[in-house]
Amino acid sequence: MPTLTSRRHKVEDLDAVEFCFQQGWTDGLPVIPPTEDRVWAMLKAANLQPDDQIGYIDNRAVGVTAEKVALNAVMAGCRPEYMKVVVAAVRGICDPAWAYHGPGTSTGGAGVLMIVNGPLARALDINAGDNLFGPGWRANATIGRAVRLVMRNVAGSKPGLLDRGTLGHPGKLSYVIAENETGSPWTPLHVERGFKKEQSTVTVLAAQGPHQVYNQLSNTAEGILTTCADDMRISGGVMGQPQYVVILAGEHMKTIAADGWTKAEIRTFLFEHTHSSHEHLKRTHRMSGAVQPGDDTKRRPLVASPEDFLVIAAGGNAGAFSAYIPGWGSKRSSQAVTKEVK
Amino acid sequence: MELLDPTVEQPAQAISFAPRPRALAGTRVALIENTKYNSDRLLEKIGDLLKKEHGVAEWKVFHKHNSSVPAHKEVIDEVKAGYDVMVAGVGD
Repeated sequence: MPTLTSRRHKVEDLDAVEFCFQQGWTDGLPVIPPTEDRVWAMLKAANLQPDDQIGYIDNRAVGVTAEKVALNAVMAGCRPEYMKVVVAAVRGICDPAWAYHGPGTSTGGAGVLMIVNGPLARALDINAGDNLFGPGWRANATIGRAVRLVMRNVAGSKPGLLDRGTLGHPGKLSYVIAENETGSPWTPLHVERGFKKEQSTVTVLAAQGPHQVYNQLSNTAEGILTTCADDMRISGGVMGQPQYVVILAGEHMKTIAADGWTKAEIRTFLFEHTHSSHEHLKRTHRMSGAVQPGDDTKRRPLVASPEDFLVIAAGGNAGAFSAYIPGWGSKRSSQAVTKEVK
Repeated sequence: MELLDPTVEQPAQAISFAPRPRALAGTRVALIENTKYNSDRLLEKIGDLLKKEHGVAEWKVFHKHNSSVPAHKEVIDEVKAGYDVMVAGVGD
């Protein structure tokens, strides 16, 4: 019979939440006290044993066990059925391609953007619509919170200590969205990334906060995406060439789809319209060196290839707004990773 | 109420440092560059100073794949085989 091996602390009932604060276990908000029965409920919902290894973070020399993920999911306020999504996301940030050490510690202050796809997103009521980035949905608020608590309590990414984000952003509390697959005219993100439509996945990207794009004027795909590209051209690290997530919400989604544009065509258009001249990058002190003759015609793309724009449909149906999210640092340092929710 | 601890209990690890050279004169120095802006220029300056002021025989800059990962195996192997001292740090 497996047992839970975490250290145990006896506390008075009324002091349990305060005790968690005092131990330095929380993200600044109250947590659900992690009791044995609650932890077992999490593990059972995901068919996991306490000592199952969910991931290993090389730089930190830390193995992440199912027991610790379950404990932190309890504290975050997750329902047991969310545990599988939390586990998949933790697998994602432990993947060498995500490269934990940078986004888990950097002054760049990355959040873990999590995009959930597939039938489980609907079954768990992970919000893909109004108020996409919150608040108001338990799954969105607690799944990401659980991942961040794992980063804090297991991987040691404590703000001010190992997590040295200069500014951070509110998404570091929780940053979970689903793709609006039922309303979208396009191929879902997880299918583009090699999974079947009926599989459920979570895609993790080390990311800055969302930037809202306004276009309440154009009724063409080209018009909306021209605005989007113009907003994006100088954003994020610019010189780092990270990956980006582009979120097309209801009205923009419908306008772009009505013109027959696919996600691949959207990516290509954005790629071609987000180059900056070396002259501009040097003049604005983003590229090193003095401006040279011919720099005005030398072009540097925002991302390395069109595939580095991850395009999804999400957000409310009303309102002519979309959003883009620059990835942290550079694609060379951290890449989006998609894991199946099993 | 009994609560379970969400943090990890790290097993104690014994870390042994490589023996320090008594002097830098005549040594070969590996400089590990982490790909951040200007880290290569800083390390080259350090290499020149080590040569000029401490009599280092030679120095070479090695590049990590990116700043988020440890130096890769080829770098470690080459440094172990051919160098006496390594300088590594985070340029940011």
